[in-house]
Amino acid sequence: MEISALAAARGYLDSRPATDPGPGSGGPAEAMAGVARDFAATLQEGEATAKAAMAGEADPHALVQALAQTELAVETAVTVRDKVVEAYQEILRMPV
Amino acid sequence: MSEFSQALSITSSGLQAQAQRLRHLSENIANADTPGYRRKTVSFEAALGGTGEAGAVRTGPVQLDRSDLERVYDPAHPLSGEDGHYEGSNVDLVIEIADAREAQRSYEANLKMFEQARQMSSRLLDLLRR
Repeated sequence: MEISALAAARGYLDSRPATDPGPGSGGPAEAMAGVARDFAATLQEGEATAKAAMAGEADPHALVQALAQTELAVETAVTVRDKVVEAYQEILRMPV
Repeated sequence: MSEFSQALSITSSGLQAQAQRLRHLSENIANADTPGYRRKTVSFEAALGGTGEAGAVRTGPVQLDRSDLERVYDPAHPLSGEDGHYEGSNVDLVIEIADAREAQRSYEANLKMFEQARQMSSRLLDLLRR
């Protein structure tokens, strides 16, 4: 009986590291920062491509692709922001 | 990088490749009457996309068609030899036009996919707006 309890405890200890957060994931704040960095990089790339296309250096396909990607990124950011602000206002309306 | 933006970059590579093909086709048609001109052919090969994942396409090295040049009889031509023949180009306009039409159709298909990816992503975001 004691041996099986010991085995259970050991099994628990063995399996616990699997549920621990990995070293790379620093929680939601880190994830949000990564998303924001991605967003800024996409915007910057779009602007750089637009500039190059105006100067006649970039291919028009690259311009269209960069602008579509920028549009997608901006739309995503705006929609998520709207949702967050809406949730915040919902909390503020709560009767205390 | 989401699936949608990957789809956009892969489609854009397809558009670029078809445009390149059309460019070489127009070179062939423009030089159909140039003596000694050999038609250029373009091959496509799979390439790594902008995100480092396979799936995109690019044009391979341009190759010259090695088939025989057409022999044209025109003794007044400055390039004609002893027998009054000179070597024209090996461009067949019918083949070039058919190829151009196929490039156009493939381009349109890629454009359609581009539109589709954009529509799908904006429809997905519409869900959040409600």
